[in-house]
Amino acid sequence: MKKFWILLKFEWLNFRADKGLLILTMLTLMAGLYGIYYGTTEIQRQRENIAALKVLTEHNMEELKAKYPDGTDAGDIGYYHSTFAVNNPDAWAGLSLGQRDVNPYYIKLRLLNLQSQLYDTENINPLKVLSGNFDLAFVLVYLFPLLIIGLCFNILSVEKEQGTLPLLLSQPIGLPLIVSAKLTFRMMIVLGLALLLSVVAMVWGQVLPDLRVALWLSVVVLYCLFWFGVAFVVAALQKNSAFNAVTLLGVWLLLTIIIPALLNVYIAVKQPMPQALELTIKQREVVHGGWDKPKRETMDKFFAIYPEWTDTTEIQGRFAWRWYYAFHHLGDVAVADLAREYQEGLQARHQLVEQLNAWSVPVNVQTIFNAMAGSDLPSYVGFLQSATSYHDALRDFYYPFLFNQVKFTNADYAKEPRHRFTSSPDFATVSAGLYKLGLSVLLVFVVVFFLFRNVKLKVR
Amino acid sequence: MIKSIAKKEFFSTLRDSRFVALSVIVLLLLLAATVVGLHSYNTLQQERGVAQQTVNDQFANAQDRHPHRMAHYGSYAFRPKSSISFLDFGLDSYTGASVYMEAHRQNSANFSQAQQSGSLIRFGEMTVAFVLQMLIPLLIIFLCFGAFTQEKETGTLKLLLSQGVSLRQVAWAKVAGYSKVVALVTAPALVLASMLLFGKGGFELGGDVLLRLLGFMVFYLAYFFIFIVLSVVVSALHQRSSTALVTLLGIWILCCVIIPKASANLGASLYTTPTKAQMDADVHKEVAKGIDGHNSQDARAEALKQELLQKYKVKTMEELPVNFDGIWMAVGEEQSSKVYQEHFGELTDIFEKQNRISEYAGLLNPYLAVRHLSMGMAGADFSHYIHFQQTAENYRYNIAQELNHLQATKLKYGDKETRLSSETWAAMKPFTYETPTAGWALGKHLVSVVALLLWVALVCTLGIKLIDNTKVA
Amino acid sequence: MNTVLEAKQLRKEYLSKVALQGLDLQINAGEIFCLLGQNGAGKSTTINLFLGFIQPTSGAAFINGLEVAANVTKVKEFLAYIPENVMLYPNLTGLENLALFSSLAGFDYKKDELIYYLVQAGLPAEAAGRRIGGYSKGMRQKVGIAIAVAKHASVLLLDEPTSGLDPKASNEFSELLLKLSDQGTAIFMATHDIFRSKEVGSRIGIMREGELVDVLPAATLNANELESLYLNYMHV
Repeated sequence: MKKFWILLKFEWLNFRADKGLLILTMLTLMAGLYGIYYGTTEIQRQRENIAALKVLTEHNMEELKAKYPDGTDAGDIGYYHSTFAVNNPDAWAGLSLGQRDVNPYYIKLRLLNLQSQLYDTENINPLKVLSGNFDLAFVLVYLFPLLIIGLCFNILSVEKEQGTLPLLLSQPIGLPLIVSAKLTFRMMIVLGLALLLSVVAMVWGQVLPDLRVALWLSVVVLYCLFWFGVAFVVAALQKNSAFNAVTLLGVWLLLTIIIPALLNVYIAVKQPMPQALELTIKQREVVHGGWDKPKRETMDKFFAIYPEWTDTTEIQGRFAWRWYYAFHHLGDVAVADLAREYQEGLQARHQLVEQLNAWSVPVNVQTIFNAMAGSDLPSYVGFLQSATSYHDALRDFYYPFLFNQVKFTNADYAKEPRHRFTSSPDFATVSAGLYKLGLSVLLVFVVVFFLFRNVKLKVR
Repeated sequence: MIKSIAKKEFFSTLRDSRFVALSVIVLLLLLAATVVGLHSYNTLQQERGVAQQTVNDQFANAQDRHPHRMAHYGSYAFRPKSSISFLDFGLDSYTGASVYMEAHRQNSANFSQAQQSGSLIRFGEMTVAFVLQMLIPLLIIFLCFGAFTQEKETGTLKLLLSQGVSLRQVAWAKVAGYSKVVALVTAPALVLASMLLFGKGGFELGGDVLLRLLGFMVFYLAYFFIFIVLSVVVSALHQRSSTALVTLLGIWILCCVIIPKASANLGASLYTTPTKAQMDADVHKEVAKGIDGHNSQDARAEALKQELLQKYKVKTMEELPVNFDGIWMAVGEEQSSKVYQEHFGELTDIFEKQNRISEYAGLLNPYLAVRHLSMGMAGADFSHYIHFQQTAENYRYNIAQELNHLQATKLKYGDKETRLSSETWAAMKPFTYETPTAGWALGKHLVSVVALLLWVALVCTLGIKLIDNTKVA
Repeated sequence: MNTVLEAKQLRKEYLSKVALQGLDLQINAGEIFCLLGQNGAGKSTTINLFLGFIQPTSGAAFINGLEVAANVTKVKEFLAYIPENVMLYPNLTGLENLALFSSLAGFDYKKDELIYYLVQAGLPAEAAGRRIGGYSKGMRQKVGIAIAVAKHASVLLLDEPTSGLDPKASNEFSELLLKLSDQGTAIFMATHDIFRSKEVGSRIGIMREGELVDVLPAATLNANELESLYLNYMHV
């Protein structure tokens, strides 16, 4: 045991004296801190933007109150008044932004047809989202493996190449001790750094200290262990440093870029999403066709869904708000199947990714992080559904005014329902991912174990 | 002498089985990416083509309607894929494919590929551009890292120099030899791409597409050349192959993984993007109150009424020879479009400022320069996206004004009943989109062109100068 | 006499050739055994077998009565090794390298003790605090000697230890070897240097194509006789 400590101490001396390694470690630390800063400020910005939406709604209501000081037909309000469905970020989203920059985090809603409003997008700079987020998850998923590779690619080969191995082995210590000391030292640095960054991010982002703290940290540890395992499999082949570097970078490239890119292709072919354009076209046809249909026909269809309003008086004249909203409503009903298929398609895509991410540990880990942070596709679909229910609630709120032909007064704004939604973690994905991650780590270490048992050391 | 060294590099590389294996993998990926790209291009193009045709037909065959109803019915612009975007998807997966064009409102481009995918898409897509931008440089590094160090380690460099060759000549000979090898790996895929583009792909052999393809290839060749010379120079500056390799891999990681993301994120942090909700609210406010905030919409309507009454010397609105509704709508549309255009211009400015960080970072990082140029040539960059949005907005504005004009001339004041016949709609020009020319695209990326040229000049002069400092012994 | 180093029918085969054919050898405490032979004769193979770096095809090597192959780590407590080209951690100083290796051998020397060993091996004291990266081959060799001496091993395995040393340093090294053998260390040295073998060796072995063809007592020959004998063996 004492020799182990001696080896550790000298690993430290060697590490301290090696400028390249120090720079690499410092760079990773800086990248991690920047990632934390970027992620948390991005979420902070989204929070501020969401808070500003409240002000916009206020302004909108004030404007309408001024326009109709004595109240008016609720139809006017439904048409000119807009409110927002918002997808509040979980504090964890700062650690792993996921798709929160691509998918809108609020939807501006009026009482009109929902499907024409639900998919409006936010102002996004496509070049920025193409480049992706420099958040902590990126640093952990992409850059930490590179740090591990940088620290481990020559773990044994350097001893051979600089010729110190014979002298080292002429001391009364075995190779397993040397290797485990080197491994322990590097693990201490990498895990120390990864855990430190994670904790800093959690404190900085002020996350709720729930089960996810433990889950996140164990994912980080397992993921690092996986890459240490890979580095050791390559080290056990006992090739030179150049071969090790190229091989390890090749594995990194394969797992973090090539396999995910191929999976993307597979998913696009296997689970195409043609519904979107169809949905948007059909929805317009139905809604605008409403103007040209006999009013009785529209109303009868509507009353079939809402029998409670059936008694309301026959519509006279060219235009009535309740007829207008009825055919808007029917527009949503007409594309309900397509809309459901669209959302199911999105879910199915996510499930396909979940099934396939066993092929690439980084994809799996990214999926776990995003699921924990509630920043992936299912949470967006959840938000879409929540916005849909909110729109239903708005209808339930306004329809009594419209169909009972009650004037909407300025006091009624306060009774209008408000939307609340915070993206929630998807623990099912997390635990399935964790299980797969555990298996991957186990697999790699089984290989390491067999290689080290069966491969003979070549001193020269 | 140079020729014989180049030849030696070429043949000894081809005899290296590990390199050949890697090249075959890269070549296969390149071919696969070409096929995949074409497939994805065809699917999306067809999907959008069908959708566009559908909405055009719907518009042309719409029922007899009041013109303002028709203005609200509106139309859609589905963004067609640019013909060589199958080589580089660029931003296409992150930009909306459909814009709903209606009266009074400028809608966002919706339904991007990225919104329909999970976070997996953020790992990147398998395109020819991806292979050319990221994998070929890696192959080049693997090919060249031992260019000088190996000769030093085996002592053959001294032998070579003792034959009367200069270090520079050796360097150029190696660059020439390696260039040939790289050409051998990339040429088949580029030839296949060209053949697909002009052969079975069903594309017309338009001069512009050809220009774009040529530009695409030239920029990549320059990029490869930069990496080859850079790798040879780095190899010359090192004594050991392994350190040269590690240095080069470090450069690759920095250039291809870290800097692109960091510069894009930095841009977004420096220049805040306003939300669409805020922008719409600002537009609404300015339209309602007048840009200076004192000239309200109602006051403007009243002023216009008086002006028209005076102009035509009549007392009531009904007596006017033109329909005030249509005129007022046209004025309103003009006003709101003007305000919107200003805000859209500001937004585009902010995006461009954000992107400029990445563009100028191209001066430090040839990967970024070639990425921008590649997207530009493929017609899948930011400028093309904005161009599409602007074209859609112009179409929307014109069709709305055309319908307002119909209302002003064909309908009476206050008439909400009269419907114009379906033929009126069929006579209107449907939305079409033409990708701008290659020259236009290139003009948007002058910084990147300069960056790439500077890099070529830099590696050829300073790089080769550094080689003179190589420690031979 | 106390046998410290022993080979019994020690044989090493590689795929295409026999590197060592059934070596039988005993070296006692206080004895210096010099092994002469051309490159590829099997000298380094013998040393590597005693070090346990390679496994014998048949037969066995013993150190202090322990079979090397079965006690790979244990036997290293008794032996010290100086390779032909001592390579050390380039980013650490001479002092730190010596500290590392001696502490691994179980000796926690204080700084002045470490410097003593380095100076005794011929390294200038002021060089001890500099990084190995800046050392010449000879200086590294001296650190290697210091590492071996500081281990107080009962066996010293030397593989061309004086290559890279200037004549003065070589002489000092020879004196050091004689001193160590007086203290009872068994020394096994593979070398090309006939004259130095004669000068320090108790016995001189000549090896050819993996076979120990002759063992001569150094005391009975003069250097010229030894050289002609050696050349004679090589030319057969």
